[in-house]
Amino acid sequence: MSHLGDRLSALVDGELDGAELDRAHAHLAGCEPCRAEAAELRALKQKLRGLVDGAPAEAAMTRRLIAMTGPGGPMPPRRRLLRVVPGRRPTAAPASSRPGSGPTLNPPTALKPPKTLKPWPSGRRRRYLVLGTVSLVVGLGTAAFTVGGGGDAAPGPRITPPVEMYSVEHAITTGEVPFPAPSAGPSSDAPPP
Amino acid sequence: MVLVAVLVVAVPGLLVSACGGQSGSGAAGGGDAVTAVGRAASGRAAPPSRRPEAIRAVRLLSQAAQAAIVTSYQGQEVVTRWSESGGSVLVSSIWHVSGGQTVTKTMDAGASFSSQPYLSSDSDSQSPEGVLGVTAPLVQLLESHYVVSYAGTGSADNRTAQVVEAWRGDGSIAARFWLDDATRLPLERVVFDKASHVIGQDVFIDVSFANPGASPQQTAPATARVSAGQQGPWTDPLPRHELLALRARGWQVPSELPGGLSLFTGASTQAGTGTVLDLGYSDGLSMVSVFEQHGKLPATLPGWRKTKINGHVVFVSDPDQRSLTWSGRGTVYTVVADAPAQTVDAVVGALPHDGPTGFWKRMSRGINRLASWANPFH
Repeated sequence: MSHLGDRLSALVDGELDGAELDRAHAHLAGCEPCRAEAAELRALKQKLRGLVDGAPAEAAMTRRLIAMTGPGGPMPPRRRLLRVVPGRRPTAAPASSRPGSGPTLNPPTALKPPKTLKPWPSGRRRRYLVLGTVSLVVGLGTAAFTVGGGGDAAPGPRITPPVEMYSVEHAITTGEVPFPAPSAGPSSDAPPP
Repeated sequence: MVLVAVLVVAVPGLLVSACGGQSGSGAAGGGDAVTAVGRAASGRAAPPSRRPEAIRAVRLLSQAAQAAIVTSYQGQEVVTRWSESGGSVLVSSIWHVSGGQTVTKTMDAGASFSSQPYLSSDSDSQSPEGVLGVTAPLVQLLESHYVVSYAGTGSADNRTAQVVEAWRGDGSIAARFWLDDATRLPLERVVFDKASHVIGQDVFIDVSFANPGASPQQTAPATARVSAGQQGPWTDPLPRHELLALRARGWQVPSELPGGLSLFTGASTQAGTGTVLDLGYSDGLSMVSVFEQHGKLPATLPGWRKTKINGHVVFVSDPDQRSLTWSGRGTVYTVVADAPAQTVDAVVGALPHDGPTGFWKRMSRGINRLASWANPFH
């Protein structure tokens, strides 16, 4: 005589019906080992059900996690994708319009991120803020360094030495002849004759 | 026809030795002069201590300084300078009337300055007019800084000359003068550095002695005639104590400069941008004029190039490189020098300069300037 085997668990789960169910009951009536095994399976199933009912919070968390990994999860929009590209769909599109439904031109409303999502994640915003500040400081520093050259803004006129006159005066003072001065035009700062 | 030419010869690294210098100034033909040449060529010799000849040498130089004023003459002066970077030659025509004006015309092709002659006057004998740097004040300085000695007779410009030498305390020859035997007018001067290399040679050639009553305008060619109104508007030489008193008014007036240079003269003038002070320093051979004016230099100076001397940034005039200028502590300093390069460098280092601008000082100055530009009420 053959025992119930896999059909025993199906019987316990209530998955047999009709002639199968009658034949399984007839076998259990005459087979003590299968009756004992069926009793153990039912007891085990009862215990497992009791465990699941005692942890509803964990089950809810599991369901949420599974839902997040499912299709249609929200993704932050990217600016450079905020334009209509034939054959491409924005990642924020609803699950019903995901690839597989054919290349369609999405309506403009589909490009808008959900109102609950932030357009600039805080990390990126902070990065741009730091970059902008550094650029401003470097730019201002370069400008200040450049503008700060050229000597002190000491009071007094700007003087181009009238070296021609100086050379002649030097020659008179020392009894020498004056050497040619630099080939520059006459200085406007030279004393009047 | 006035011979006017300026030749700037690039002789990199050329230093003419004493021997070479003498071969070029072969006017010295007297026996004593030849002996002196031999001493110079040897580089080092004991400075002469012949007292009578020293007295005679000083007397000859004093007569030469006086002759440069009272003698009427004209001729061509050839001034040659050598340095490590090369050499330069300048030819000028000079006319002088006894006790009066001197006209010097120097021409440099392309230079606007020297196409115009300059006129100097010494009617009151106050200005140290002279020939080849032989003036009364400089003879006194020469006597106090060097050992002067009479070296016999020689010849220059085909004229008989008395030769006088100046020696340093270390036994090296510093200069040799050829003085016209008849008039005492200086005809040639050769200056040596401490290694007995010739660094300067002034030769007076084609000398003629004119009618003492003639004016330079009468003797000089028409192209060289100028009016007395073009004379520099400088004051008469100021006494030393007055020059030193200018320190209280913010001027830098050192009584001495490196290289044994002593303050021996000074004058001032009024420019459109303020007072200009001229201070003359010399040891009798090396001449340095320091011009000071309150203000600052522009960012660029046409005809000048920037260089560094003793760590200080200065502008040097091209091509002669004998004029230097810089600004320091609100004053523009311009040095015109006839002196060895080492002496000039030391003089530049002894005068005030602005220190190098540090990074934070420059940044602070730049921020202040940017802020002033952005200030609409500024």
